[in-house]
Amino acid sequence: MTRLAVLLRQRARRDRLQLALWLVGTALLAYASVSAVFDTYGDAEDREEILGIAIATRTILVFRGTPNGIDEGAFAFFLLFAWLALMGGLMSTFLAVRHTRMEEEQGRAEYVASTPAGRILPTIATVVHGVLANIGLGLLIALALIGNGLDSSGSLVAGAAIAASGIAFLAFGLFAAQLFRTSRGANGASVAFVLAAYLLRGLGDAAGTPSEDLLHVTPAWPTWLSPIGYGQLTGAFVENDLRPLLVPLGFAVVMIGVVFALQSVRDQGASLLPGRAGRATAGPVLSSSFGLAWRLNLSILLSWTAGGIATGLLATSLSSIVGDVAGSNPQVIEILRRAMGDDASIEQAFVATFYGVVGILAACCAVQVGIRARQEEVHGTAEMVLATRVPRVRWLLEYWVVGVIVIVVVLAAAGIAGVLGASRASDPETLIPNVLEAAAAQLPACLVFLGVTLLVFAFLPRATIPLGWTIVGVAAILGTFGPILQLPEWLTELSPFAHSPVPSGDDTDWSGGLWLLAIGLGAAAAAVVAMRRRELTSGGG
Amino acid sequence: MNTVISTRGLQKRFGRTIALDGLDLTVDAGEIHGFLGPNGAGKSTTIRILLGLARASGGEATLFGSNPWTDAAGLHRRIGYVPGDVSVWPNLTGGEAIDLLSRLRGGVTDKADYESRKQRLIDVFQFDPRKKGRAYSKGNRQKVALIAAFATPADLYLLDEPTSGLDPLMEQVFNREIARVTAEGATVLLSSHILSEVEELCDRVTIIRAGRTVESGTMAELRHLTRTEIAFAAESVPMPFEEIEGSHDLLIDHGRVSFTVDSDRVASVLPELARLDVKGLTVSPPSLEELFLRHYGDELVTLGQAARS
Repeated sequence: MTRLAVLLRQRARRDRLQLALWLVGTALLAYASVSAVFDTYGDAEDREEILGIAIATRTILVFRGTPNGIDEGAFAFFLLFAWLALMGGLMSTFLAVRHTRMEEEQGRAEYVASTPAGRILPTIATVVHGVLANIGLGLLIALALIGNGLDSSGSLVAGAAIAASGIAFLAFGLFAAQLFRTSRGANGASVAFVLAAYLLRGLGDAAGTPSEDLLHVTPAWPTWLSPIGYGQLTGAFVENDLRPLLVPLGFAVVMIGVVFALQSVRDQGASLLPGRAGRATAGPVLSSSFGLAWRLNLSILLSWTAGGIATGLLATSLSSIVGDVAGSNPQVIEILRRAMGDDASIEQAFVATFYGVVGILAACCAVQVGIRARQEEVHGTAEMVLATRVPRVRWLLEYWVVGVIVIVVVLAAAGIAGVLGASRASDPETLIPNVLEAAAAQLPACLVFLGVTLLVFAFLPRATIPLGWTIVGVAAILGTFGPILQLPEWLTELSPFAHSPVPSGDDTDWSGGLWLLAIGLGAAAAAVVAMRRRELTSGGG
Repeated sequence: MNTVISTRGLQKRFGRTIALDGLDLTVDAGEIHGFLGPNGAGKSTTIRILLGLARASGGEATLFGSNPWTDAAGLHRRIGYVPGDVSVWPNLTGGEAIDLLSRLRGGVTDKADYESRKQRLIDVFQFDPRKKGRAYSKGNRQKVALIAAFATPADLYLLDEPTSGLDPLMEQVFNREIARVTAEGATVLLSSHILSEVEELCDRVTIIRAGRTVESGTMAELRHLTRTEIAFAAESVPMPFEEIEGSHDLLIDHGRVSFTVDSDRVASVLPELARLDVKGLTVSPPSLEELFLRHYGDELVTLGQAARS
């Protein structure tokens, strides 16, 4: 017991800043968003109208939740729950991998395992640590809701739902850490799982059955595949039913059982997906520093491209469903006419929203290419390359070129997937050019993130990894969730994603794209030129 | 004689830390030059400046008469480099990393020739090129860098503690490769903190401490700086033990008699040891740290006081 306490204290000590930021930051955002929601939608009639629009367009439901009436608490739960659960999920999986696979990868777990604590106890400590963190997050969010004057039992159910889905994600993170040899692989699989859970419940909501009064939706089956979906099924503030939470908690128990079963049979430092014996000589790709940069970024590219393809397929195949539902209901058409003007097509709005997500995926991929340059520097392998005939300026320029290629590949893959998905749409001839424009419109914003990451690499090398992810993460939250969180317009406008052109038929405004293009290319050029005077840092020193 | 490496008053600051403080280093063509200093003396920093990976804050450095910072890529055609702490790509095999580095150095124009040179090195270093980088131990990572450095002919080899992590057998293989490349006319700068390693290989030596050159010359010229420790079992000689002429620091402790003699006078005490028929004789070459303590101890003390005040 005392050893477990020591390990727990060490985890709390290591995470004290990071976890405090996740917990307090998420709770504060919840508090601020809820109060902003009631500033905007204070009247029951306002809420009734916006619910009607949301159910009519369905797009909104993918990024919000299950409509459950005009009660204040239920309305806030509908707007915010899925997003908060997404944050809790990312917090939990990063926590799980950080204290398990990353420790093993860096060799620190070996020291700990050599003490009487052994191989298994540190994982138990991580489970306890993660569960406590999720309970803390649930309580803080319940407090944030109560602080806004919402019903306390409903608030506690919402907090419990956050904690339960977070614990399910924690268990998956621990499972991925057993499966993969690197923390990068485990984190990648976990983030994909969390995003899939978010999107599955979005699909469930968007494809659900609306009630006659257009205030409720009964979600479709994809929701039942998602821990976040079961959180929504509690119907916090209305039904207040805790029973659906048994499913994510049960999933967590089973997963954690599997984790301990796996850990008790495998070697320390080994994984279930073993490395293969490699080739003795290098292939033709590894003939130049560009080939090396390409090879080092290939796995990054493949995983983000898979995300792009999935999102693109969803965008168009779902837009046809949305069009069908909306087209059959005269009341819906009336609401849409009022909300979006006569010309707007639901399908166009839907496609634009989904390709906004594709843009974020491509931008993350580009940021990761810039971060790879920094990892090469810290790891010392950049030094080996730059000690050959490769000049510094060319070396960074090649990373930029790889970054441009990965952006184009992710966007193109998503565009092609969208075209394939559009084949079943009611009107493919107008949808297909719309899809391709929407994919291309993301390019300038992605170039901004690539350029800015390389600029940070050139001038503030140590900040490359944290700042690179923070910039794209904050921009994605502001750009995608800013409107949902009711953030002020100037704040949302800080995000390059907010300036990506939105294709809407003939009168698309491309000027924002040109500005982004200029900024992106300018930042990249400044970074590459700065390499003329930039020293290589050694071993992080 | 051609000068390959020349630095004059080389300085390097990292913020408020001074890594190099007026370093002078001259290496002539064809010589094996030992670059000696304790950990943190500035050896790696100097080599990184010579490679154009870091820029000097003051003083000058030339390599083949060119500026290593501005002409880096051009100079690198003529250089083979082994870093002090070798990292390899975790997801590339050792064989892939060797081929990649050789191609980047432009050493594979004659493919068959390169393959035979590489294969010979892989054999003599007993290296398995099929494993992924993350699976290699420190010694095996070192072999990746050594094979890549020696598989492509160079005019100058910059080797930063190249034998760290190698077992004694591999050190012998390394020494033979150094002999081979210098026989072909190459120049070698070999940094180390182990004096005996440098003694065995090098024609000339530069000793640095705290970023400054303290001694430079041939090994014979530096011999006067060092004392060798001689020790044997106390029970094998009659007590009380009479000090042998020319010896210093006599100590009888833990059943051992030990004393030191100037390294160039070791042979002169051997007849007396033979006459005494001593048992369990050991002759230990001086460590660099001892050398520093002996000759620069006063300076270390004053430096320590200055740092505290």
